[in-house]
Amino acid sequence: MSEDRTPIISIRNVKKTYKTRNTELEALGDVSFDVFPGEFVSIVGPSGCGKTTLLKILAGLLPRTSGEIVVDPANFNIEREVGFVFQKPLLLHWRKVLDNVLLPIEILKIDRRSMVDKARSLLALVGLEGFEDRYPNELSGGMQQRVSIARALIHDPKLLLMDEPFGALDAITRERLNMELLQIWEKTKKTILFVTHGINEAVFLSDRVVVLTARPSRMAASLDIKLPRPRAQTVRTHPDFGRYALEIYKDLELS
Amino acid sequence: MNTTIRMTRSFLSKALYFVVVIGLWQAAITVFKIKEFIVPSPLSVFQALFSPEIAPQYQWMTHIGTTMGEILASFTFTAVFGFILSLFITWSRFARAVVMPVIAVFNSLPKIALAPLFLIWFGYGFAANVMIAILVAFFPVVLNTTTGLDSVDEDLLDLVRYLHASKLQIFIKIRIPMSLPYVFAGLKISATLAVVGAIVGEFVASSQGLGFLIKDSQAMMNTPPMFASLLLISAIGLGLFSFIALMEKVLMPWNRPASEELG
Repeated sequence: MSEDRTPIISIRNVKKTYKTRNTELEALGDVSFDVFPGEFVSIVGPSGCGKTTLLKILAGLLPRTSGEIVVDPANFNIEREVGFVFQKPLLLHWRKVLDNVLLPIEILKIDRRSMVDKARSLLALVGLEGFEDRYPNELSGGMQQRVSIARALIHDPKLLLMDEPFGALDAITRERLNMELLQIWEKTKKTILFVTHGINEAVFLSDRVVVLTARPSRMAASLDIKLPRPRAQTVRTHPDFGRYALEIYKDLELS
Repeated sequence: MNTTIRMTRSFLSKALYFVVVIGLWQAAITVFKIKEFIVPSPLSVFQALFSPEIAPQYQWMTHIGTTMGEILASFTFTAVFGFILSLFITWSRFARAVVMPVIAVFNSLPKIALAPLFLIWFGYGFAANVMIAILVAFFPVVLNTTTGLDSVDEDLLDLVRYLHASKLQIFIKIRIPMSLPYVFAGLKISATLAVVGAIVGEFVASSQGLGFLIKDSQAMMNTPPMFASLLLISAIGLGLFSFIALMEKVLMPWNRPASEELG
């Protein structure tokens, strides 16, 4: 996919264990892979395989037990150039939509006025033009998650971490948002690391799928998805689509 | 248009309710032949308040002014310093460890029992009454606000922590707005308690205020001004409560029900 083969981020033997009174619980066991600039990489695995844990480690929300996360500080400032879309929209219900999108700008102490136009255009990008002055409780679940995507993009992150962002939505809304996400990715050229337990979703969206198994979690595979881009729903009928999906099923020991 | 009709209807139903209550009151007195020094008639209460011959002897404006002054002073102090203290408690573990036990002890104390002591410490009158009202009203604000500031969704904290938000930013952007419903719940309780505190204070240590007037009239079994004072006290309490409810609406516009549903 990308010509530049220097990874934006390298995950090397990253492990996470939680110590309880007399046992050690392994949340994430020895995961290594690279993500290249502009790539769309999905992490697929069952609940409890540590995929959310991995994203939180990358975002600096959890310390890792061992391993390394390597970035080139000249190209990528991991402190400021990460955007995170959570499972829940996590909108601040006391702020209007526009002010929710601008939250990262305030936290990062960037001049707010200079970013208002950008916030508006990001809202237009996620299909929410005209909703700037609404409160979150006036929006549907799908619209709220769209706002949270705009919010994750406002500070122009190089790496977008997405933790099952559409998991709580109904299947039809999820399909629609997956299509929109691909369009956003193509327009903004972000690098996306997308966590899901939807195998077809992962194949449909990604350049590469990293497969994690259940506890004790380990990395089962890293699979390049060489389906044509830009992708439309017709790609699901591509002969390779089913082949990729089946391979992931095998990696997860589901077939 | 619709709201005008609704407001008119609501006003009319309240007015009707008021008329019915007064009618029942008068009827009970007439039917059961209740003596004036037990329960006065609505008319004599009205006269105690408004009749040019009777009302001036009670110096209503002075008493109302004193009581309202005490309530507003104690409530304002409570609201401002209660909020600030809650910020300290939730900001620093040390402050919490030092302050919370003291609050627990004072909160379990029947605060009214301290009123005679306050008379010794702060003298007779306004200052002592304000202090008593503060003591009675203070803790609900602190306990509620502290609970509100503590009860923050961990996921929301993740949202700002991944951007490396400072502790101050987390307070200003997340914790304080999150706590506002709790703050207002505490303020509403405190407003009621500030009225209680001020009146009790006037019973114990005052020669002015509606509480004093009640006690003073009691000595002569002069019930009309006692009833009139009760009405005025409840009007003051209701007024303060409504003001807080209004502030709540103005400061938390997001809490209003959504004007329209979107699918």
